[in-house]
Amino acid sequence: MNKNNNRILVNGNHAVAYGVRLAQPKVVPIYPITPQTPIVEKISEFQAAGEMVVELMTAESEHSAMAACITASLTGVRVFTATASQGLMLMHEMLHYASGARAPIVMFNVNRTIGSPWGFWPDQTDSLAQRDTGWIQYYCEHGQESLDTVLQAYRVAEKVMLPAMVMHEAFYVSHALDIVEVPAQEMVDQYLPDFNPLHRLDPEIGESWGNTVNQEMFYRHRRDLGLAMESVINVAQEADLEWRELTGRGYGIIEEYCCEGAELVIATMGSMVGTARDAVDNLRKEGVPVGLIKVKLFRPFPFEAVRQALRGVPKVMVLDRNFAPGTGGFLHQELKAALYGLERGPAIHGYLTGVGGTNISPTNIAALVREAMSTQPVTSSVWKG
Amino acid sequence: MKMGYQINEEKVFNSGHAACPGCSEALAMRYIVNTLGPDTIGVVPPSCIAIISGPQPLSSMRMPVYQTTLEASAASATGIARALKAKGNDHTKVVVMAGDGGTYDIGFQSLSSAAERNEDFIYVCLDNEGYMNTGSQKSSATPYLAYTASTPAGKQTPKKNLAEIMAAHRIPYMATATTGYPEDLARKVAKAKEMKGLRFILVLAPCLDGWGLADNAGPKVSRLAVESGVFPLYEIENGERYTLNYGSKGTPVSQYLALQKRYRHLNQAQIEEIQREVDLEWQRLQRKLAT
Amino acid sequence: MKETFKEVPSIWTTGWTDILNTGTWRSAIPFYQKRLAPCHCACPVDGEIPTWIMLARKQHYREAWSSLVDNNPFPAVTGRICHHPCEGACNRREYDGAVAVNALEQFVGDLALSEGWALPQPTVALDQKIAVIGGGPAGLSCAYQLKRLGYKVTIFETRPELGGVLRYGIPSYRLAKETWDGELRRLEALGIEVKLNHSVKASDLSGLEKEYSAVFLALGAQSSKTLPQFSVDNLRVFNGLDFLEKVNRGEAPPLGQDVVVIGGGSVALDVAGTARRLGSQVKVLALEARESLPAQPDELTESLEEGVEILAGVMVQNVGISFETLSLHCIRVTLDENSPAGVLRPIPLSGTEFSVSATNVILAVGQDAELTGWDSVINVGQSLVRVDANLATNRPGIFAGGDVTPAERFVSTAIGQGKKAAQSIDKYLKKPYSKGISSKDTQTSQDVVAYQEINMFYFPEQNREEKGTVAVEERLKNFAELKIGFSPQQTQTQSERCFSCGNCVECDNCFYFCPDMAVVKDSSLTEHYRILDQFCKGCGSCVQECPRGAVVLKEETGR
Repeated sequence: MNKNNNRILVNGNHAVAYGVRLAQPKVVPIYPITPQTPIVEKISEFQAAGEMVVELMTAESEHSAMAACITASLTGVRVFTATASQGLMLMHEMLHYASGARAPIVMFNVNRTIGSPWGFWPDQTDSLAQRDTGWIQYYCEHGQESLDTVLQAYRVAEKVMLPAMVMHEAFYVSHALDIVEVPAQEMVDQYLPDFNPLHRLDPEIGESWGNTVNQEMFYRHRRDLGLAMESVINVAQEADLEWRELTGRGYGIIEEYCCEGAELVIATMGSMVGTARDAVDNLRKEGVPVGLIKVKLFRPFPFEAVRQALRGVPKVMVLDRNFAPGTGGFLHQELKAALYGLERGPAIHGYLTGVGGTNISPTNIAALVREAMSTQPVTSSVWKG
Repeated sequence: MKMGYQINEEKVFNSGHAACPGCSEALAMRYIVNTLGPDTIGVVPPSCIAIISGPQPLSSMRMPVYQTTLEASAASATGIARALKAKGNDHTKVVVMAGDGGTYDIGFQSLSSAAERNEDFIYVCLDNEGYMNTGSQKSSATPYLAYTASTPAGKQTPKKNLAEIMAAHRIPYMATATTGYPEDLARKVAKAKEMKGLRFILVLAPCLDGWGLADNAGPKVSRLAVESGVFPLYEIENGERYTLNYGSKGTPVSQYLALQKRYRHLNQAQIEEIQREVDLEWQRLQRKLAT
Repeated sequence: MKETFKEVPSIWTTGWTDILNTGTWRSAIPFYQKRLAPCHCACPVDGEIPTWIMLARKQHYREAWSSLVDNNPFPAVTGRICHHPCEGACNRREYDGAVAVNALEQFVGDLALSEGWALPQPTVALDQKIAVIGGGPAGLSCAYQLKRLGYKVTIFETRPELGGVLRYGIPSYRLAKETWDGELRRLEALGIEVKLNHSVKASDLSGLEKEYSAVFLALGAQSSKTLPQFSVDNLRVFNGLDFLEKVNRGEAPPLGQDVVVIGGGSVALDVAGTARRLGSQVKVLALEARESLPAQPDELTESLEEGVEILAGVMVQNVGISFETLSLHCIRVTLDENSPAGVLRPIPLSGTEFSVSATNVILAVGQDAELTGWDSVINVGQSLVRVDANLATNRPGIFAGGDVTPAERFVSTAIGQGKKAAQSIDKYLKKPYSKGISSKDTQTSQDVVAYQEINMFYFPEQNREEKGTVAVEERLKNFAELKIGFSPQQTQTQSERCFSCGNCVECDNCFYFCPDMAVVKDSSLTEHYRILDQFCKGCGSCVQECPRGAVVLKEETGR
């Protein structure tokens, strides 16, 4: 199953770099920002050592880096970039531009708090605040998943022609060492076909891109983009299944963990899932009927999958390491919307845990589970440290 | 002595575009793209150039053109240039055609960075000295005392000297040009086409509506800009070697100003002040030419 | 939302803008039009000056010569002696000096002689015979044009040789005999019948009318005016025309040391120059003030260089005759400004009397036509034959032109009149007689291109050159030509100075300055260019950038 595999001890960011190397992008615009810099540094090392043949463009800002990604992608080559927090904010205009251009860029974003005030701490608000930009979004739990998801993301993005961003959190994943299996190049080449878009900037074709359109064209364009986004549900699942066949590792678009007979299911994303897994194991040992769903694919939101997973479950406790003033936790809000009208749908507690990067331990989570099980939920997200 | 201009053109620029009658930018675009030929990819930010590029699904240029956001022209061009290089394509040219707003102001950061990295494309700034597409607002390219909708009493600060700024980046080639001298413009584009690295051409393109000119006055006004010393045509190679092509003939700057409604509010003292400034700048350029 | 219409792709282009009709934007369209250049307007032979100068510039000299001889069979002659009103009207005068049209004409004319180019033979042979009375410039020009049209032509000439003033009046230092001979021989080679030593009187007219379909009277004005102060019997007094003719025949009369010429025109100065070359000191006395002398300015300069003394604003009141000399008692005068045109009324300034002594006096005070008897057959008024705008006399089939009619007394004017008469005769014979004026090229607009319409940017300053002149000491030794024509290099640089007003030279500026590429080059059209109706927005850049006003903007109505 995994011939010629290579198990290495690396931090999450470097794991991503290994994944990118396997994808063989041709143009990588880079700009440093804590805590993603090790990704682009590692890629630079690969290039300098001749292990990657890639045009590295040291942009003067993330906005320019994304601008270059779009055009390089439209010229018909695979591209990659990485950023975090402020950099992602600065790119915001271009994120919309990229999805509107149907450019299948894959970007890695290390979730970090957004100023002001300044901080470098794990917090998913930066990428979640981009949920409306038309990008596919994946949230990863650990370095291996980040590596695997980068490759799945290229496969999905290039199939539906939409850009994709893959996330893991600052320091907890980005800088934490882990054992990671690096798949063989030949296997990845099998998995990822050559990128050869039908429409591109090419004097042999002569097509231009970017003219002002009328209202009717704009409407159709948005509708087409929406349809492409919807199709990601199936495409992502297929991509993940095939990956599992090739490597033995699959993640699904959501994962249900110990949900059999659960009275309460924890719902969360990213590194918090890892902590919650421990909490669930501990609680189950104590006989508490608790389960966990990990939302991996956040955009498009897997409505059907979560509805199916949570039908008949009495309670859901959402743990959000993120926060939007006025609505609360993002997953809390999205889940409520997804579950609206579901017969025998759960009551939902929304807890804000770890906003700003505060440490949440399995013990904290266990306590929250007990509290949630014995209280009535309120509409808004509740601050829980 | 030959009878007239002789300019070789390939048919890349199409008629039927939406430029105003007599538009200087359209005239400049004709010589830029017809000199570069169809094996070129263009990058155009929001500007009159974008409007002239065509209404969807039509294009006014028989070459691929990508329209980008206002600040990102140079970064977008970089992406294309790098992608072409990665594909092993060393013949397709990349050209930016941007207005002064997207070059002097919001686009300056990405331009400066691309110049520092000496990215391989040609950047042409079509300078009509203001944000004309949105109705004539001031940009840092607007000259001293000119009227714009956002400086109705006349702009109080001088025009940024972008030619010198770009030359200070030590790019291989920087040239100024204008539409009243089409053969000179085409020659400079042809020269840039044969070079590598970041080549920058600053084209003064009088805006008929924004400057308040008659429909047929574009080339005439641009020549007065040169002959009065307001906008000399010269080249700087590698930030050091200066070559003057067409310079001041000593025509009083008042003749240049008199044709433009945007200077109608000037009094005699202001005109004299402008004359002094123009003379000083011309002398500065001459000193650089001499070294 | 409607789903039924064909969906236009929302991103990526599929075609080009040249299917769009931006021509609907305009309200005026450029129009290529050959317009009158001021030189052409002023030329007495209606010469297409911008056209032949452009051909000379391109070194298509043969074609330039063909254009010249369309209107005038003697370009080597006019290139020497024409009074060049073209240069006076030239738009370049205001800029950095008129184009040296006259010198350029001389170069082409001389080249034709040295290359031996022949005038084209007529392509048709008509039956009608035309009689031309007078073999001077008007008569020769008329005969030439009629011959080209295919008519049989007979010239009746009083003198032993053809030419009139060209042979007998103009000194050879202005027009070398070889040059004149060359021009004449070429014309004779067309096969015109010539009867020399044959005078025609008024009584011969009815006889001529029977034999010939039309008659052109080009009798000239060969009767010298006299002055009452001078007796016609005095052997020391000559009339100017007579004197010049004798010199041209090689029979120069003996002159004393002090010759006085009376008169201020070209004939007077020709007489003065001739007398200088024969060895005399010469004074010229003229009624007109120095600034108003009718002679050409360069003729005046040359005379002064040759040591001729000009006494302007002077009248001879009476003459004292002695054995050796004549004493001319003179007084200074001014001319009455209110006298009718052409009439000189001197007002003596009392107290300014002085005397001049002369061994000979030569009168050059004007010429009259010799029309005794003619007033019984045709209308004669004020000693000139009366003609209408077509140069027809009141007698059907009888036409007249040149110095015998009220025309300006210039050789080129006479040549122009000869041509015009030929055209009138042709129309008279081919259709019912109409009073319509022969049209110029109908395509040419009647408005003349003004200096303000020339775009000076395209014409860097370049000085006008003049013909060279032989050094004065050399000149006075003989009757060789005093002016030196242009070299080929001078011809090249000087022809490049021509703006070519109103005449497109295919410089392609209109083509290059159109932002919409709506000007297309089309060599199959006489206009050379075509405007694309679908794209022209009517901005007028082409009109503004045409250096020479050859394209104008016309309002479009009723589109």
